[in-house]
Amino acid sequence: MAGIELKNISKVYGGSVVAVDDISLEIKDGEFMIFLGPSGCGKSTTLRMIGGLESISKGDLFIGGKRMNDVDPADRDIAIVFQNYALYPHMTVAGNLGFGLKLRGVARHEIEQRVKSISTMMGIEPLLDRKPAQLSGGQRQRVALGRALVRNPQAFLLDEPLSNLDAKLRAAMRTELIKLHHKVGTTIIHVTHDQIEAMTMGQRICIMKDGHIIQVGAPLEVYRNPANTFVAGFLASPPMNLVAGRLEGVGQGDLHAVVGAARLPIPDAFKAGYASHAGQPVTVGLRPEDFHQAPVGGSSVAVTVVTVAVELLGPEVILVAELGGSGGPEIMARMPRDFMARPGAELHLHYDLTQMHVFDAATGNVLPRPQIA
Amino acid sequence: MKLRWSNIVPHVILSVFSLCILLPLIWVLRVSLTDKLTAYKIPPEIGHLGLENYVEIFSTYPFERWFLNSLVVALAATAISLPLATAMAYAFARFNTGGAFLRLGVLASQMLPPIILVLPLFTLFFSTGLMQTHMGLILSHLTISLPFLSWMLVSFFEGDSASLEEAARIDGATRWQAFIKIAVPVAAPGILAAGLLGFILSWNEFLFALVLSGASSQTLPIGLASMETHAGVEIAPLAAATVVSLLPIFALLPFLRKYLIKGLSLGALK
Repeated sequence: MAGIELKNISKVYGGSVVAVDDISLEIKDGEFMIFLGPSGCGKSTTLRMIGGLESISKGDLFIGGKRMNDVDPADRDIAIVFQNYALYPHMTVAGNLGFGLKLRGVARHEIEQRVKSISTMMGIEPLLDRKPAQLSGGQRQRVALGRALVRNPQAFLLDEPLSNLDAKLRAAMRTELIKLHHKVGTTIIHVTHDQIEAMTMGQRICIMKDGHIIQVGAPLEVYRNPANTFVAGFLASPPMNLVAGRLEGVGQGDLHAVVGAARLPIPDAFKAGYASHAGQPVTVGLRPEDFHQAPVGGSSVAVTVVTVAVELLGPEVILVAELGGSGGPEIMARMPRDFMARPGAELHLHYDLTQMHVFDAATGNVLPRPQIA
Repeated sequence: MKLRWSNIVPHVILSVFSLCILLPLIWVLRVSLTDKLTAYKIPPEIGHLGLENYVEIFSTYPFERWFLNSLVVALAATAISLPLATAMAYAFARFNTGGAFLRLGVLASQMLPPIILVLPLFTLFFSTGLMQTHMGLILSHLTISLPFLSWMLVSFFEGDSASLEEAARIDGATRWQAFIKIAVPVAAPGILAAGLLGFILSWNEFLFALVLSGASSQTLPIGLASMETHAGVEIAPLAAATVVSLLPIFALLPFLRKYLIKGLSLGALK
């Protein structure tokens, strides 16, 4: 087991296309780290550089404290689970599991023993004599994971391993991967573009965009304190409402975020950070779950909304409404499952001001405010 | 099942085409079992049937030597070209060696009429002492099979094969081990099919064998042609010889079909 450290790493293709731009990140020994981002953000490239399948254009990579830039993938002692599983089609499941051990010159009886114990652990023991073509998607997934586990590597790199599975199986495998990490305790880097996987599986999330790291932190920490509008809009479903507005008021005395016809008073604790943007256009971030039907503590403000649509999801209801009155910016609010409203109906909701985020309209970066724990 | 025009018409057309291909073969088979006189009778008659012609080609003509020469040349040409073509195809597919220029260059050699290659080969072999030898003939056949097979094999190393090799290298394999233990076995059906095609190309090759071989290295196509003598075409023994020379190809066909289909469906691994 080992920690992984990336120091100012870049990947440049053909001298001009920058896929990964000067990223630095420390992944602790035994940590479950998620690389999250839209396709083309450089997360898979970063993973492949750690694995040794792509050369590193600039910067240093350390695994277990040793510089690994020029070390052959075979000698890095890490395992990758690929999106398409990449099982060797001409070998049986047992052959697939034992291949890496055989290459490393492990004695035959020990290979048999380790293949057997891993296949028992993964529940694929009855499949040992089958070829990959004879397995279902979920079974292939387990074999691919088993092949990574059997070598007992220093770290696992998972490249969107769940994206080829159907929704039900994906949810089951999510839980299984979490359990697996508890059991083996090895460092895991999991690449995904699925924000549910990111929120539920990792100890920390590293959110990437256009080859840059945007934010790194524990899932809830990132969720509650997004660094910019990209992170705010990427995590959770439905995501944070990002609406154009202005900060109105003078100095720290009387500061409001004005969105359409709605005026949201800025809590005292935030005023110091927001004062510099007084009178300027901003993007206001309001999470759907922070709209309530009744006042919350002393920190909420009443807002008027006009119903546009109501989506009945079963466990909850998503209310699509215009904020501040008819013609206002459209927002989504998460309501309890027994909520009902007709389109066009005017409602009075209560917004929890302590959860509000304000972003610079030009840069998209969040304005400084006390962190939500 | 009801008879419909939409069913009948394609079958009639296909039957006509099949007959176009089969009739000459059936005619050859029939002639090989009769004598010269019966062969040309119109309307055709079955006449006397016997294996005399088959006996004759082995007793009167050096048929065994032609057959053996063909076998040696075709096997050796295939054995040499297959590993080389596999390596070339791998280099094209994985490393894009030489870029499009080299790929097209290799193909361009196939666009030349073979007769253009014969003269330079003749002078080369004449000065190196390879004229009329088996080795010379084998080398000349490489000029046909190597470009053809390498082009055919490129597609078997593209696609999934690359990610399988990456998995192998992560598993601890060197580049060479990933090639030998993963890429080659995965492409094996394609490599086998290419090998069979290479064998057939070499087995049927006429022009190079005509110019570059001698009495001791004559192959079957040259032998068969020599049965058209000044005294006329020995049509009956020629037909018998043709039938025997077709046998290896017929023996290989089922394998060719099997591996080609297997090779083409390789992409369906996921």
